[in-house]
Amino acid sequence: MVIVKRKQLTLGERLYLPEIVRGLSITVRKMFAKRATRQYPEEPLVTTAVTRGQPRLAMNPDQTLRCVSCGMCEAACPAYAITIDAHEVEREIEREPEHFEIDMLRCILCGFCEEACPKEAIWMSDELELADYTRASLVYKLDRLVRPVSQLQGRIDYIEEINRRWNN
Amino acid sequence: MTRIRLNGKEIDADKDRPLIAAALANGVDVPHYCYHSGLTPVGSCRMCQVEVTEGERPARVVAACRTPVSEGMQVETQTPAAQAARRECLEFLLKNHPLDCAICDKAGECQLQDYTYAEGQSEGLSAEPRRKLDKRRSLGEVILLDQERCILCSRCVRFFEEVEGQAQLTIAGRGANSTIQTFAGRDLSGNYQGNVADLCPVGALTLKSFRFQARVWNLTKRASTCGECSRGCAISVEVLRQGQVKRIRPRYEALVNRWWMCDTGRFAFEGATLSGRLEGAQLRGYSGLEDCSTSEALAAVATGFAVHTNHVFIASPWLTVEEGRDLVELAQAVGAVLRMVSPEESGLADKILNTGDPCPNRRGLADVGIESASAPECLQLCTGAETATLVGERVVNLVGREALSEHDGKSRLFVFDTQALDAARVAVQVGVASWVERSGTWVNADGHESPIAAARSAPAGVCGTQGLLDDLRALVATCAPGSVSR
Ligand code: SF4
Ligand code: SF4
Ligand code: SF4
Ligand code: FES
Repeated sequence: MVIVKRKQLTLGERLYLPEIVRGLSITVRKMFAKRATRQYPEEPLVTTAVTRGQPRLAMNPDQTLRCVSCGMCEAACPAYAITIDAHEVEREIEREPEHFEIDMLRCILCGFCEEACPKEAIWMSDELELADYTRASLVYKLDRLVRPVSQLQGRIDYIEEINRRWNN
Repeated sequence: MTRIRLNGKEIDADKDRPLIAAALANGVDVPHYCYHSGLTPVGSCRMCQVEVTEGERPARVVAACRTPVSEGMQVETQTPAAQAARRECLEFLLKNHPLDCAICDKAGECQLQDYTYAEGQSEGLSAEPRRKLDKRRSLGEVILLDQERCILCSRCVRFFEEVEGQAQLTIAGRGANSTIQTFAGRDLSGNYQGNVADLCPVGALTLKSFRFQARVWNLTKRASTCGECSRGCAISVEVLRQGQVKRIRPRYEALVNRWWMCDTGRFAFEGATLSGRLEGAQLRGYSGLEDCSTSEALAAVATGFAVHTNHVFIASPWLTVEEGRDLVELAQAVGAVLRMVSPEESGLADKILNTGDPCPNRRGLADVGIESASAPECLQLCTGAETATLVGERVVNLVGREALSEHDGKSRLFVFDTQALDAARVAVQVGVASWVERSGTWVNADGHESPIAAARSAPAGVCGTQGLLDDLRALVATCAPGSVSR
């Protein structure tokens, strides 16, 4: 048998009103404090170069892809999210991805692909939103992965800075 | 046999083979580029340097591929002197080597990568720019040469001289200007060109058909046997993402093909990767051939065996021994005449490997008691019988696709092939697995048994031949002749 011992209330507590005042004072104080939540989606997340959003492929100003489809990110990806098929093109480095797919539903935004890439072609962008009606449409193909380098520059500079710091 | 001491361990070495062979045979990997067990050692790359002490003489660093073994020799592969010698050698090999690994088809199975990693030679000393050479030189239909990647080991040169028997490549130019070239810029010829892509320790000689097709670490490899001639070379079938066969490479098999295979076999899968597969089964109904389940199709075949007399079975030479045995039993149960269709010589016979007989399992099927017959004979048998059952991949093509579809005999055709036959006389047809999709045994022309192994799964709805034959035999047993009324 369990005997539940009830707490003896003090007089102040039994009077009820002082406790109400105490509670309301917290409410009122919090109303003017700095807010911890945001009104998403009207107020999007503030991203910085440190934000590790979805991976994206960089495109040079001359409209060529940096990616040579070497498969390093594919091999590094712990979630098996990346699939690449290469083909031959007429340019100085003659290899380019014909198909490049990242299954965003599998991607865990770990950034291993970014780290593995020897050609500085795949970067963790600041894009974070992911919603659609079908699974298939969330397997991103080249058309949804490629971004001009300028758009990724913040991240590129940040990573370069980190590397500099580590290597010295 | 000669006793030597290798890295502190006593081993037996073959006295007719160089020191490196003894080391490799005993699981000590001495880095090497120009040495290949199938070619004469030339000692040109100097990568195989090890430290050797003989008797009272001081230790010296020698090239293991050009040093004969001698009794009591002491060999150390990892002394500072040997390592330094190899690292310097790598330094020079890498001096002009392009940083191409990211786009190089050899990456992942490249000996230059492997030994650079193993020897820890990751930074070069020289600051001069790298040599610029032709990176896409076509050497004919099969091979593409990247001169920048070549380390001038001369394996390819020796392959044509020693194995193919006709020199086709040479090292032209001197010193830093040396490059691999064909004589007078002619294309490579012959049926063995593909081997130099396997042989080249780096990505200088690559297969055009494999160019940028896959990263090698993504390929699933299965040991199997080539089905393009009765030599039955040991091969590895390499498949990308469980689907497409991307490459076929020879596997070392001392009694059959050693390290090589011919291009006919190497590229055979390109045709056999099989468009127009017959997926599932078809049964003739009122409006022509209609899709049906495999069991319905087999039941129809079994009924056909029961209600008719005078049956003929034609086996494909691609059937395995196991399937052959099943077919023999089935033929006995049905009382059918059984022949293997024997195509004409391919005209590809040579003194190296190809036998010119395009039947990989002629001997195996003969051993289980299947006689062979030429295509016209088979056709005659088919048209003369009441039912003709054609079993195995390519069997329709071998008997004659045209002839079978045009023939106006009375016989019903039961077809078990990889591709559909669109002919009025076809009563039932069932899609079967091809040789890259099933397992079993073939016996080559010399009686050597080799395994074939499923490298990928058959398309949906396609069954293995052996399973089909087993099911069919069970059905035939239940509806013996006479038990079904006409
Ligand atoms: S971020 Fe990580 S999980 Fe996502 S694609 Fe890159 S490696 Fe794969
Ligand atoms: S040959 Fe080897 S080392 Fe050279 S680029 Fe190709 S993979 Fe890299
Ligand atoms: S092409 Fe390859 S096999 Fe021929 S010499 Fe150069 S590295 Fe050696
Ligand atoms: S392997 Fe011995 S010198 Fe090349």
